[in-house]
Amino acid sequence: MKLLKYTIYRLAQAVPVLIGISIITFLLANLGPGDPVSLMLQGQEHSEELVRAIERRYGLDRPLHERYVTYMVGLLQGDLGQSIYYERPVAGLILDRAGPTLLLVVSAYAFALATAIPLGVVAADRRNEPTDHVSRIAALVGVSTPSFWIGIVLILVFAVKLGWLPSSGLYYPWRPPSAYRGIDGHLELYYQSARHLLLPMIALGTLQMATIMRVERTQMIESLQGEYVKLARAYGVPERTVLRKHAFQVAQLPIITIVGLNLSTAIGGAVLVETVFNINGMGQLFVGAIQRNDYQLVMGVTMMLGVLFVVGVIITDISYAYVDPRVTYGERE
Amino acid sequence: MAVSESQFESSREQADEDDVEARVGWRYTVARIKADTTARWGLYVVTVVLFVAIYAAIDSNLSLLTFGVLSDYTFARLIPIFDHPTHIPPPGEGTQHMPPYFPLAEQPWNPLPAGGTLEHPLGTDHTGRDYFTRIVYGTQVSVFVGIVSTFIGLTGGTVVGAVAGYYGGRVDDVLMRVVETVYAIPPLILIIVFTVFVGGANIWYAVLGVGIAFVPVFARIIRSRVLSVREMDYIEAARAAGVKDRNIIRRHVVPNSFAPVLVYATLQIGVTILIVAGLSFLGYGAQPPTPDWGQMLNIAHGYMHSNVWLSIWPGIAIMITIMGFNLFGDGLQDALDPRIDD
Repeated sequence: MKLLKYTIYRLAQAVPVLIGISIITFLLANLGPGDPVSLMLQGQEHSEELVRAIERRYGLDRPLHERYVTYMVGLLQGDLGQSIYYERPVAGLILDRAGPTLLLVVSAYAFALATAIPLGVVAADRRNEPTDHVSRIAALVGVSTPSFWIGIVLILVFAVKLGWLPSSGLYYPWRPPSAYRGIDGHLELYYQSARHLLLPMIALGTLQMATIMRVERTQMIESLQGEYVKLARAYGVPERTVLRKHAFQVAQLPIITIVGLNLSTAIGGAVLVETVFNINGMGQLFVGAIQRNDYQLVMGVTMMLGVLFVVGVIITDISYAYVDPRVTYGERE
Repeated sequence: MAVSESQFESSREQADEDDVEARVGWRYTVARIKADTTARWGLYVVTVVLFVAIYAAIDSNLSLLTFGVLSDYTFARLIPIFDHPTHIPPPGEGTQHMPPYFPLAEQPWNPLPAGGTLEHPLGTDHTGRDYFTRIVYGTQVSVFVGIVSTFIGLTGGTVVGAVAGYYGGRVDDVLMRVVETVYAIPPLILIIVFTVFVGGANIWYAVLGVGIAFVPVFARIIRSRVLSVREMDYIEAARAAGVKDRNIIRRHVVPNSFAPVLVYATLQIGVTILIVAGLSFLGYGAQPPTPDWGQMLNIAHGYMHSNVWLSIWPGIAIMITIMGFNLFGDGLQDALDPRIDD
C-alpha cells in the first residue's frame, strides 16, 4: 500500500517536469531562425498568398502562446502534431520507430549488466591484485571511448575485415518472418536479429558497462567492510557465500539508480549508434527531422525521449524503494 | 518544512566536516595528488595533451583559433618569429587539392592509407591533407571545447545553485524545477536542438549548448553544499554586519562550496569532449575545414571500406584525451576525499 502511494507521489512529481520539457522543446523549436514554410516551398516560385496560406494551415500565423496551448491540448489527447516532411502524424511515426531504439537500449543494458556485475565483484574481491588493475583500466578505457567510435571499430574488424557479422540494419524479432525476404521460420529470424544486434549492442553497452563496473566495484568494496559481512564471517559462513550473498545484495542498490540516471546518456548514444549502424530507430528519425527542419517532428521526438528518461528514472526509483526496505518513500517528518 | 530539512542536511554535513578539518588545504591536497598514482598519470596525460594543443597554436602557419575568428594565416602573421615547416599544409588546404567526390581508387596519391612515411606519418585524408597535422590540430579544438563549455556549465551552475541554495524557499523551488527539467532532456538531444534551431550548426553554439546542458549537474552539486554552508556562523556574522546578499554569496558562500565541484568539473571535461565528438560526428558541431576529431570521423565513416585508418586515429586521439582528464579527475577525487585512506 505504501508502495502504491509512493508510486503515485513520484508520478505526480513528474508532471511539472514533463510540462517543463514541453515548454523548453516548444520554445527551442519555435524561436529559432529555421523557417518551416520556406522549407516546404524548397525554393519553388511562390507568392505571398501561398506563404500566408501555408502559415494559416499549420497555425503559424497565430501568436506563440496560443500555439503552445493548442499544442498542449493536442498533446493531452495523444496528438503530437503533423510531420511536415512525412505528412503523417508525429505520434504514428514515433511509434513505428520506437521498437528498434528500445530493442537497442534494452539489449545494451542487458549486455552491460551481465558483464559489469560479475567483473565488478571479481575486481572488488581481488582488490589491488592484477585482475583488479586490468579491469579498472578496461573500465577507464570504456568510459573514455565514444560509443560511435566503438561501433566503427567493431564494424571495421567484424564486418569489413573478418566478414563475420553484418555492418548495418536490424531484423526485428517481433515481425512475422514473412516480412523479410529469404528468411523462413521464426528460428532463423531470431538468429538473424541476434546477429544484427550484436555489434550495435556492444557499441552502446560498453560505456554503460564501464560505468556500472566502476560503481559495482566501489560498492562491493564498501559492502565487504560492512558489519553484516563481519558478522557473517564470524559465524563461519563460507567466504564464497559471504561474497555472493551477504555483501552482494546490499551492493546492488546503487546500481539501480545508476541504470536509471545513465538512461540519458544511453538515449544520446543510441542516436549515434543508430547512425553508425544505419538502424531506423528514433535516433535516425530525430537526426532526419533536424536536417529537414521538420520542427513538429523534432518537438515530438525530443518530448518522447525526455519522457522515456523521466519514466525510466521513476521506474528505477520505484524498484529501488521496492528492493530496499530502508527507503522511507519520500515522506518527511 | 524546508528549514528542518536543511538543518538536518547541515547537521549531517557538520558531522562529516569536524573530523575532516585538519585534512584540507592546498598543501595537503597537492601532497595527496603527488602520492596518488592515478592522479599523477592523469596529470601527465593532460599535460601532454595541453602541450600538444598549445604547441599547435603557436608553431605553425595557423591561427590560435581555427574557428574562423582569425583566418588561417593571421596568427602566423601576428607573430612572424614562428617560422613554420613548409611540408605541413594547414588544415583546410591540401597539398594536392582534390574534390572530395573524386573516386579514392583513382587518386594518384592514394596509397598512403596507413602512412608510415616521414612526410605523412599517419597518411593523408580524402583531400590529401596530412592526417597527423589534422589530428594534432584536433587536440586544440577538443581541449578548447572541453574546457570552455565546462567553464560555462560550471559558472552557470554555480550561480543557479548558489542562489537557489542560499535563498531557499520559493526561489529554490522554482530554480530547481527548471534545472530538473533541463536535466530530463538527454544532453545530446538538447544540444542538437539548441545548436540547430537557435544558432545554426556551428562550434560556438555547440560549446554554448553543451555548457547550458550541463548547468543542472553543477547547480545540483553546488546547491547541496550551499545548504550546509549557509548555516555557518560566518555567514550569520556577515549578515549581521549588514553585508548584502549578493556579496555574501560571492565572497563567502561560493568559495566555501566550491571544492567538490572542481573535482567534478575535471571529470566533466572528459564527458564534454565525448559529447562534442558525437555532436561533430553527426555534423552539428565543428564544421569543415576545422580539424575536429568527431567531424573527421564523420568524413572517415564514408571511406570505411577504402581507408580503414582514417577512422582509427581520431578515435584513439579522443580516447587518450578523455582518459587523461578522467584519470586526473579520479585521482583528484581520491586525493580530496578525506574518507579514503591509502
